[in-house]
Amino acid sequence: MAQAFQKTTCPYCGVGCGVNMVLPSADNDPVPPVSGDEMHPANFGRLCVKGSSLAQTLIDHDRLLTPSIHGHSASWDEALDTISDKIAQVVKDHGPDAFAFYLSGQILTEDYYVANKLAKGFIGTANVDTNSRLCMASAVVAYKRAFGSDTVPCCYEDLECCDLLIMVGSNAAWTHPVLYQRIAAAKQKRPHMKVVVIDPRQTATCDIADLHLAIKPGSDAAIFSYLLCHSDRANVLDHSYMADSTSGFDDALKCAYEATPSLSSTADFCGVPEEHLTLLANWWADIDKTVTFYSQGINQSSSGVDKCNAIINCHLATGRIGKAGAGPFSITGQPNAMGGREVGGLANQLAAHMDFATPGARDLVQRFWQAPNMASENGLKAVDLFQAMEAGKIKVVWIMSTNPMVSMPDTAQVRRALEKCELVIVSDCKNNTDTTTMADILLPATGWSEKNGTVTNSERRISRQRGLLPAPGEARHDWWAICEVAKKLGFQSAFDYQGAHDIFVEHAALSAFENDGTRDFDIGHFHSMTQAEYDTLVPVQWPVPKGQPEGTKRMFTDGQFFTSDRKAHFIPITPVLPQQASNQEWPYVLNTGRVRDQWHTMTRTGDAASLARHTNQPYVEIHPRDVKALGLQDQGLARLVSPSGQAILKVKTSRATSPGQVFAPIHWTQAFANASVVSNLIPQVVDPLSGQPESKHAVIRLEAIAKKVLFGSILSRQTLDLSDFLYWCRIPSEHGFYYEVALSSAADVEKTVRNLTLQTGLSEHWLEYQNPLSGQSRMAWLEEDQLALLLYWHSKPNNLSMDWLVTKLAPDSRVLEQERLAILAGSLAQAEDKGEIICSCFQVGSKQIQKAVAEGVGSVAELGSQLKCGSNCGSCIPELKQFIPSDVEKSA
Amino acid sequence: MRIVIIGAGMAGSKLAEELLLKQPQTYKITLIGEESKAGYNRIMLSSLLANEITPENMALVNVQAMQQSGLEMITGDAVQALQLPKQQVQLASGRMIQYDKLILATGSKARILPIEGTDAANVMGFRTWQDVDSMMDLPEAQSVSVIGGGLLGLEAAVGLVKRGHKVTVFHRSGYLLNRQLDEAAAQLLQTRLESMGIEFRLGESPQGLIKHVSGQVNGLQRPNGEIQETDLVVMAAGIVPEIALAKQAGLHTEQAIQVNEQMATSHADVFAIGECCEFQQHTFGLVAPIWSQIAVLVDVLSDQKAEFSIQPTPTKLKVSGVNVFSVGQIQPKKNDHCLIYQDVGTNQYRKLVVNEGLLVGAILYGNVADGSWYFQLIQNKTNVSDQLDRLIFGEAYCQSKVA
Repeated sequence: MAQAFQKTTCPYCGVGCGVNMVLPSADNDPVPPVSGDEMHPANFGRLCVKGSSLAQTLIDHDRLLTPSIHGHSASWDEALDTISDKIAQVVKDHGPDAFAFYLSGQILTEDYYVANKLAKGFIGTANVDTNSRLCMASAVVAYKRAFGSDTVPCCYEDLECCDLLIMVGSNAAWTHPVLYQRIAAAKQKRPHMKVVVIDPRQTATCDIADLHLAIKPGSDAAIFSYLLCHSDRANVLDHSYMADSTSGFDDALKCAYEATPSLSSTADFCGVPEEHLTLLANWWADIDKTVTFYSQGINQSSSGVDKCNAIINCHLATGRIGKAGAGPFSITGQPNAMGGREVGGLANQLAAHMDFATPGARDLVQRFWQAPNMASENGLKAVDLFQAMEAGKIKVVWIMSTNPMVSMPDTAQVRRALEKCELVIVSDCKNNTDTTTMADILLPATGWSEKNGTVTNSERRISRQRGLLPAPGEARHDWWAICEVAKKLGFQSAFDYQGAHDIFVEHAALSAFENDGTRDFDIGHFHSMTQAEYDTLVPVQWPVPKGQPEGTKRMFTDGQFFTSDRKAHFIPITPVLPQQASNQEWPYVLNTGRVRDQWHTMTRTGDAASLARHTNQPYVEIHPRDVKALGLQDQGLARLVSPSGQAILKVKTSRATSPGQVFAPIHWTQAFANASVVSNLIPQVVDPLSGQPESKHAVIRLEAIAKKVLFGSILSRQTLDLSDFLYWCRIPSEHGFYYEVALSSAADVEKTVRNLTLQTGLSEHWLEYQNPLSGQSRMAWLEEDQLALLLYWHSKPNNLSMDWLVTKLAPDSRVLEQERLAILAGSLAQAEDKGEIICSCFQVGSKQIQKAVAEGVGSVAELGSQLKCGSNCGSCIPELKQFIPSDVEKSA
Repeated sequence: MRIVIIGAGMAGSKLAEELLLKQPQTYKITLIGEESKAGYNRIMLSSLLANEITPENMALVNVQAMQQSGLEMITGDAVQALQLPKQQVQLASGRMIQYDKLILATGSKARILPIEGTDAANVMGFRTWQDVDSMMDLPEAQSVSVIGGGLLGLEAAVGLVKRGHKVTVFHRSGYLLNRQLDEAAAQLLQTRLESMGIEFRLGESPQGLIKHVSGQVNGLQRPNGEIQETDLVVMAAGIVPEIALAKQAGLHTEQAIQVNEQMATSHADVFAIGECCEFQQHTFGLVAPIWSQIAVLVDVLSDQKAEFSIQPTPTKLKVSGVNVFSVGQIQPKKNDHCLIYQDVGTNQYRKLVVNEGLLVGAILYGNVADGSWYFQLIQNKTNVSDQLDRLIFGEAYCQSKVA
């Protein structure tokens, strides 16, 4: 019998959608597909493809189940003893700063809280940083500079009720799909609502844009500097608001006029047509209810903080803040980046939205925690932290739920740092990530749906993630592991929590401790909440001070801020371009981002075969002009070389990027591909204030890979060692193992085949197809009518669908006599070749869509009613439109 | 019009039937056969030998019905000479037959190797019903040597092994059916036939036949000098067109009787069809082009325009349970490319020879269902350049593209 669903929160992006989960009726049954929680104010029942596929990620594959020390299984007790002994030793010998936590926006607030407390209050170091540094650190610093607090002023509803939405540095259609869908729906309902996208690339988000400014990479701040000047010229400044609630306007305006004196100079700096900039400026002047929506494209910059403040300046100057449909709205990339900020889980924070520099804060927190060893100053931010590790200053690092070998810039440096570090502790759900391979001690962590706690989304909404499934193997909660180490270090009483509820209540108490309205973050209402209340907590936006249980929708409605003068501060901004400029040696600019159906380093989404179908391999998007000039081949391979490293990626010819610029998604790790880690290429250039790396910018060289390269697709029942290959990429599949590969030379094929058959213990091959005309050869080995190994070789890149073939790797699948030919043909003769999957929800492919359009379907809605594509999460709609001839003309 | 057809084999008897069907009133046809049985389907001899059909199924044409329609059937009275200037045919009995048009359909006979001992009574061809009757009359479990691993030799070998004999096939080439298959396909075939009990001596021609005092051959000398014991020798090492009459009459012959596009020989009113004729340096051993020749000749005789031309002809091996298909140019020349599919597990093999976007040859072993489709592509010179990636997988994979 199916049970009633349980409510929890999605573990992906910062939208923080509510998820309904039905538990399986028997222990070993798979979890049924999840659905969106119609009651959750973030999504009202919607889910994106990634969220919809959550149940498919709950699998045993590569799950880390037992602790290990130097590769040998160990008990929790042994592991925790080793950890605490080593921490005690290095603290004694080298001081507390020889220890560091490197945490993650994926862990829950409660985990974050105890880690921060242990380090800053008990070990005595502020070396607690997190992958959130890579995501929104610039936004935090900018909010603090302007507001005196790290406060997101807006709520999601503002995105629906504004009249002008400026989306900058965000491909929300793919990265925050549910918000994007809400925006798209609002725009459809209120057609006068203008949407402007500012992005060097033409992304899927441009689909709903009235105007797209394809700016030069990193030139965003100049747009807002110009808008500030234009507000003055067009006489739309809100002088009375500024007088009551802000300070520093004159300096900021003066600086803006110096930086962006004219339309032409600004258009030239940003590389956009003057008429585009004029149009934006006119809309800005004419439309009062404006939200600026920004994300990593702004934050991941060597001048990210300034960019954020350039945006905030415009909103302060026009009084467009603290009102419905207005405000500078930073959208976080991670499910709990906000929660991390709230506990102070970053090296330049103390706790509960207090900093070391906040007068009296250190003392307040020390008293609250009864802390014996309070840290006294900021710790090291991510990049500095790994550099200090390489320099031998940090001797023990505890990495939790993140994969810095892929997400941090300059992978080679991160490797050197972790190699140098005396004890690398990694807590993760997965056995094999690029970072777990560097660990001395591995701790098996519980994951989404197994652990209890809270997360905070981009609109300050605290929601519960619920532990609904049993922990597998010896997996334990992160907060538990931290507290056990704390107890072994002698801090029993301060870390004697019975559960996540105890921690949350303490966190709430700290937020309210001697607050009295001086600090934005106050959830004092929860100070006395019971376990039962915690378990049934409904999503609520902080602040939730005592006596205000309904929380707070919008901030700064009263024009009061958290600076010492209670006024918001303008910051004079001089726009600058990215630190590294392209030159003769490094002629191309690399921009990075995400694909629609993957999230971060694929440790979770990589397990759902259905999510691999939209984009199954790492790629680099290159303008056709450059593809031609470089002698590259579409769908072939290119080598990207930067001063810090290199990567091999598939070439995707696209007019979405401009000549001279290329784009690559960041997701692929060495666990999925041998040579495609994009962070190899990224320099450790950071914003001086936020320490956030300029991860969206590298200067590179592009090289064609020799023409004699031989491409291949491999299916195998068992994992294969492909270390001899020029390139391999493992593509998540429902059954067995699927690799797309390339050999440097067709001459290597015989040796390679021999090697693979030796590995798999297969002898003579049973089926073979040779086609010298198209440079194809295919081989298959069967064992007792079961497909064991399949090799397809092709001299030219090939997009053959392996879907049907993969089904033949299913444990109970037999290759029938009449299917043997099909094994080498790639499909059953009658089977429809769907083409590339466009709609992941319903697995509708490009060829099906083309066919429907050829047969007269004339709109996305009709496609939806005929093929169902786009009718669930809708994140494929921008792509669907590209199939409809009239829509393509409109957008051209 | 008086028409005399010499040869009541498949070509001659079929021509007679076609002419009678078309204009029974116009022609007075005389069909002269050497064999005692006329108008049977020679192709079915191997099936008859293999016990797969009964003699009732052997008829190609209904001789009795034709005789009722006015055909004069002469058997057991061989033609002695052609007297072309007089438009007469002279029979062994001395009878003279006058004609307006003479058609030579004298066929061929088994090629006999130029070695000692082939004149013995237990050395035979595999050409006629009489040959099959003799084989069917053999005592049980004889040792039989079949000379020639071509279509005919293998069909004889299979028929004989099915009858319980111990069969050894000698084949001069290094692999079987070397004119129809490549080595890979031939190997699959060989393995299959070996599993049926046939032994093969490839790359071997017997050096001589050893006669017993009885005059029967009882041994066969192998190239290495060893003697292979044998109770019967079947010569299936090719055919020799039967052109003695034509030569004697002064018709232009090379390997066979030279004919033009209308099947006319060098002498007016004399035509030749079937295995005895030669057209553009081609001789004929398969039935398909011969049916075309008959169709052309039927038109020519009724003064309609028609031209014979050489077309690729698919060949199949008629051995039940063993499917082989071959058509066109199967040995790649320069600028040809071969597509190959092989399934060692179930003995499937396909090879397609492609030249400049055209399919020019195909070998199928195992599943031959697509043979006729490939044959059509070759015959129609269909451009297949946009389906080379699917071509070898057969019609079902290419349907949408080939309408």
